[in-house]
Amino acid sequence: MKIKMLLVLAILFLVAMPIFAQGTAAQTSSPKDWKPVFAGIGMAIASGLCGLGQGKAVAGAAEGMARNPGATAAIRGALILGLVLIESLALYTLVIILIVN
Amino acid sequence: MAQEHEFDVWTTRLFNDYLAAPLTNFLTAIGHPPDRPDHPWENWITMELLVVVIILALFAFLRPRLSVDKPGRLQLTFEAIYGFIGSQAQEGITHEHQKYLPFAGTLFIFILFMNLIGIVPGFESPTMTATVPAGIAVAVFLYYNYMGMRSHGVGKYLAHFAGPMPVLAPLMIPIEIISHLARPLSLTIRLFANMFAGEKVTMAFLGLSYLVLPAVFMGLHTFVAFLQAFIFMLLTIIYVGSAVGHEHEEGH
Repeated sequence: MKIKMLLVLAILFLVAMPIFAQGTAAQTSSPKDWKPVFAGIGMAIASGLCGLGQGKAVAGAAEGMARNPGATAAIRGALILGLVLIESLALYTLVIILIVN
Repeated sequence: MAQEHEFDVWTTRLFNDYLAAPLTNFLTAIGHPPDRPDHPWENWITMELLVVVIILALFAFLRPRLSVDKPGRLQLTFEAIYGFIGSQAQEGITHEHQKYLPFAGTLFIFILFMNLIGIVPGFESPTMTATVPAGIAVAVFLYYNYMGMRSHGVGKYLAHFAGPMPVLAPLMIPIEIISHLARPLSLTIRLFANMFAGEKVTMAFLGLSYLVLPAVFMGLHTFVAFLQAFIFMLLTIIYVGSAVGHEHEEGH
């Protein structure tokens, strides 16, 4: 088992050789335009918070369906509506990014 | 958004080859001459016309095959769709929902077909361009306000903006106006961004690997297409219901 793991590690190491190709030139890379950087940060924040909100919505819906299986159809309807409305908030950020870029 | 990467779908090329002059003349006559007179047709308008032709052909195919005793599969499918739309309208508008059902149902079918036609290779969703969802959202805005005014009278409908108590009016009126104006904006952006992002994500993953990954995202895009058409219809029904249904609130 240990030999196999060592063999896998050695192969991965050899496959990853191109990493050592660059790295000698020290570039002071501060980007000339900050738009893509902030676009990425903004979209990541928006998607993360949207994920939190949708997680809470699904958690509430799943618990409601577990407590009251008879109301599953109504709860599922409210869940879908809620998820789409929360999703659209993350998409507003995407639209602003597309407009600015 | 970069307009240089525009790609003409085959219908746009067809329309521009043969019908460029009539549209240019028409647009110039109504005061909005196109930027490029030899290329007035855009992807979204030709695809929209194609979707309209497809829907009309589908329903023209269905109509002679309707029968009460022996319904075929197509009739059963469309009866199921109609029942679904009807149940949604009944939940949203409790009172006289049959009057508002045609508009919501047409919206659902139209937006659904427009979303789905982008998945077929060689075609492009008209809803991917911001113009088309904006137009539909403006139509929904005018429709629910008109229905509200027709149901209550113009004065009483506008008086609802003042809220439950007259003393709150200076606070409620700006809030109500802004929230009413935000509705077509959010409808537009929701539909446009979902379709546009779906296509861009599929293209991005197609650039990474052509094997299995783009198909997964295309499947997600199909599901989102159905969902967005349904949500547009549902929100239309809710807005019409809130504009028309104030009568019962005052009775309590």
